[in-house]
Amino acid sequence: MEAQSGSFFARNEFLIRRLHSLTGLVPVGAFMCVHLITNSSTLGGAEMFQKNVDLIHSLGPALPAVEWAFIFLPLIFHAVVGVWIIRSGESNYFTYNYVSNFRWWMQRVTAWIALFFILYHVFHMHGWFHTEWWLKNVANENTGGHLFKPEHATSSAAIALASPFKKLLYVVGVTACVFHLANGLWTLGITWGIWTSPAAQRRANYLCAAFGVGLLAVGLGSIVGVSKTNVAEAEAFENAQLETKAAAAKRAAELLKKESAKAVTPTATATKK
Amino acid sequence: MIQAASHDAPSSHDHAPPPATFTVRVLRQDAPDQPSYWEKHTIVRENDMNVISVLQRMAAQAETADGNPVTPVAWDCNCLEEVCGACTMLINGRTRQACSALVDKLLVDNPEGIELRPMSKFPVLRDLMVSRARLFRALQKAKAWIPVDGYYDLGSGPKQSPADQEVAYPLSECMSCGCCLEACPQYTKIELTKRDGETDAEFKARETSAYDGAFIGAHAISQVMLFNTHPTGKMNAGERLDALTAEGGIQVCGNAQNCVAVCPKHIPLTTSIARAGRATTLHSLKKFFDL
Ligand code: HEM
Ligand code: SF4
Ligand code: SF4
Ligand code: FES
Repeated sequence: MEAQSGSFFARNEFLIRRLHSLTGLVPVGAFMCVHLITNSSTLGGAEMFQKNVDLIHSLGPALPAVEWAFIFLPLIFHAVVGVWIIRSGESNYFTYNYVSNFRWWMQRVTAWIALFFILYHVFHMHGWFHTEWWLKNVANENTGGHLFKPEHATSSAAIALASPFKKLLYVVGVTACVFHLANGLWTLGITWGIWTSPAAQRRANYLCAAFGVGLLAVGLGSIVGVSKTNVAEAEAFENAQLETKAAAAKRAAELLKKESAKAVTPTATATKK
Repeated sequence: MIQAASHDAPSSHDHAPPPATFTVRVLRQDAPDQPSYWEKHTIVRENDMNVISVLQRMAAQAETADGNPVTPVAWDCNCLEEVCGACTMLINGRTRQACSALVDKLLVDNPEGIELRPMSKFPVLRDLMVSRARLFRALQKAKAWIPVDGYYDLGSGPKQSPADQEVAYPLSECMSCGCCLEACPQYTKIELTKRDGETDAEFKARETSAYDGAFIGAHAISQVMLFNTHPTGKMNAGERLDALTAEGGIQVCGNAQNCVAVCPKHIPLTTSIARAGRATTLHSLKKFFDL
């Protein structure tokens, strides 16, 4: 025990715990809200969802950097510190069966579910890493990884979630993450001293519960939206859109060529003079 | 009191008549590094017994339910009116004071008998006596007092507003019983044993440093808010907040809110924790930016 007291971790425990709390809210919690809202647009059909995905992927080559800086690294930090926090406490719910003690325990149970679910989910859809070697050898159709194709957003998501077992897994995972965020929001308000009196904490509790129920509806809506997708129709739409895009790109390239040819001629004549 | 208090007041609704005798199961331990063992005693019920009087009967009988002669069970008590905190133990699994635990009420809730155990978060000295040294060390670490000692009369201090008095009075009722720590899922037991060749002073120092590295506890956080509310105590507010942001400080709290639920003095501990959460954050920012 005393060997630890000089360690970096021990000396900065307050700061680390405050950063853990903050990262749970932003960027991780905020991202999760945006992510679930985006995904629920599958309820509006393939076109709507594709438009949202295209908007995100318009970041192009900057996307991996944004993903790592604003999603993966803060999440990894929150998860690593979170596991350390979980190991530092011991539930006694069976002796002191109060509601808030149950929630303390559930915050930890849902943290474990979120950890394994997110690890799986990111592998399943995204593949974890996008290097050529990794996609060829590790995250592929055979291993069930990297199944989401941004240019075939709706159809690839629907195919990835086709099995009822996967759907169930996603329902459990999303529910756990939403509880963790909504309950975390409430404890965060105490941690930072935003709601202090019992009355204020009770009122904040209603707000956090309403937020959680709302976000859960959005999250489960995403799964419903994906499940209702007609894969053939979605694919047809996506292919048509890709063709239109390809044709537009071709036309643009031709125009550009013509333009540059025109621009070259006067200079050529000028050198002749 | 409207509150459905966990202690006192025999149940008003009429149940079967109380039994003539009842069983007490005690978890005993002869010395700190000895194993613990259960022992059964049979007690003749009398009117208005509390757990302290049960322990007194057990000492007088000095034999188990099977008639084996035994030494009296060791326990702590002082005030016998729930203001000193010394008699805190686990009664039927829950942390509370033995002096305010009334037997008839306990038998209504659990007719089989009464189970007594020492608190589980503190090192057992003997039987139901534990060392709450870590609890008192936390108060020392948090400087839970107002430094007014000096060589000359400092005169009267600044006045405290009635509003602040309202906040401070409930916090001042803490009796250092340790119930809040016993029930806290983030407060885990620390028990060290003396090493071969270690002097008492060396052992004490090692123990103190282990205590200081672990969670300070809800009682100390609340005492910081008490003394930081006091007009004279305020002058040292920063030092106390430093103690709360050191290793084992307020950040260890995981908001399970058991502390406030079990506190026999109904101290608004989670309000103190939230206020301290805000104060420590502001204090750290001020220190970082040298404001
Ligand atoms: C979906 C992703 C996640 C989100 C949105 C999220 C969000 C949050 C929020 C807002 C808090 C409240 C912080 C506070 O009370 O001050 C929190 C607390 C916590 N999170 Fe997460 N979290 C996520 C994933 C995880 C993971 C993967 C783990 C670890 C396995 C984890 C472990 C914890 C723990 C242990 C706490 C309680 C901290 C405490 O009581 O002080 N979280 N989380
Ligand atoms: S705060 Fe309450 S439970 Fe904790 S030591 Fe003080 S009186 Fe006991
Ligand atoms: S609110 Fe904090 S101090 Fe109180 S029981 Fe919960 S974790 Fe322990
Ligand atoms: S003897 Fe003082 S609280 Fe019980």
